[in-house]
Amino acid sequence: MHPTLEELLAARDGQAEPANAAHVAACAACRDEVDRLAAVREALRALPQLPPRQDLWPAIARSRDEERWQRPLRRVGWAIAVMALVITGVAGARGAIETWREARLARDTRELVAESQRLESVLTAPGGGGGVVRGRTASTIAELEDRIAVVDESLTKATRPSADVVALWQERVRLLDALNSMRTTRDTYVGL
Amino acid sequence: MTPTSNPWFTLGVDDLVLARAKRGDAAAHEKLFRVFATEVHTLARRLSRTAEDAEDVVQETFLEVLRSLPRFRGDGSLAGWVRRVAASKALQRLRRHRGHEAIDEEDGHFATTSRAAEPIVARVDLDAALSRIGDTSRAVVWLHDVEGYSHEEIAEMMGRTASFSKSQLARAHARLRQHLA
Repeated sequence: MHPTLEELLAARDGQAEPANAAHVAACAACRDEVDRLAAVREALRALPQLPPRQDLWPAIARSRDEERWQRPLRRVGWAIAVMALVITGVAGARGAIETWREARLARDTRELVAESQRLESVLTAPGGGGGVVRGRTASTIAELEDRIAVVDESLTKATRPSADVVALWQERVRLLDALNSMRTTRDTYVGL
Repeated sequence: MTPTSNPWFTLGVDDLVLARAKRGDAAAHEKLFRVFATEVHTLARRLSRTAEDAEDVVQETFLEVLRSLPRFRGDGSLAGWVRRVAASKALQRLRRHRGHEAIDEEDGHFATTSRAAEPIVARVDLDAALSRIGDTSRAVVWLHDVEGYSHEEIAEMMGRTASFSKSQLARAHARLRQHLA
């Protein structure tokens, strides 16, 4: 009885059982088959390389940069939030004895900070980074993150509640919301 | 068996570029990609169903490589490590598609009505035949016969046994012969 194809492949790879090796050595048909299997292997190895259809580096670089952004964004976001809460807390206390307008600004700021934190926690939840991003999506994400960085830079200079600060926090919430929408779209696409 | 017989992945990355890439240098990262992109894509394309899947595997592979590079200690070759990451990513993707794989019918037995002396088929025929065998069989035959992985290594990557890898290799060759006939 001839060896099975699996056993002949083992013979081709020099890993045949002694009985099968002896059979192949004595059987011309099996030797021919082993030679044929070796020829197929060589033909597979000789198949041409397949370059990507397009340059994939820009998308990879954007995804890499997005991952790098995640940690600093998280750190900066929380630092700003803590500072904002201190400011608004002081202003809130003053609001009781000072103007109603200032108290309202403080309250609005607190609400926006809370919303900003909520959106940021969604954004940085496990599984939120490191996936595949199409070029256009990655570009939009990078732009949104750049704009958040600009808002954060302005917020770090704020010393007291004001209409401008509220507007900055509104912008930050809007940008984070847009970023989360992009993430949801991306995750849906890659099946995460 | 350490996969050394693969004629591809022969290009290298010098130590300076590797050190810079480990420190996060963007230009070194790109250099790394340029050196291995075609080889990784070839492996990904051979193991994937579609060109789009292969491109996603390439992206996932390089993101993983760049992320893990600082922890690469150089115990093995950089090329071998990159290739291993690529194979794992491609197999992960195949596992997600497993439910859709066509069933192979071959029983793995060889009938001795051999066509042994016939010249090997044209590349285009082999390419087409390769694309027509089942996903798992195609992955095993490519990883074993071309990339040089042992059945034990393939089993580890696929979460199966070495026996499974051997039977899939036999199935792949039976299917290839059928499609090349």
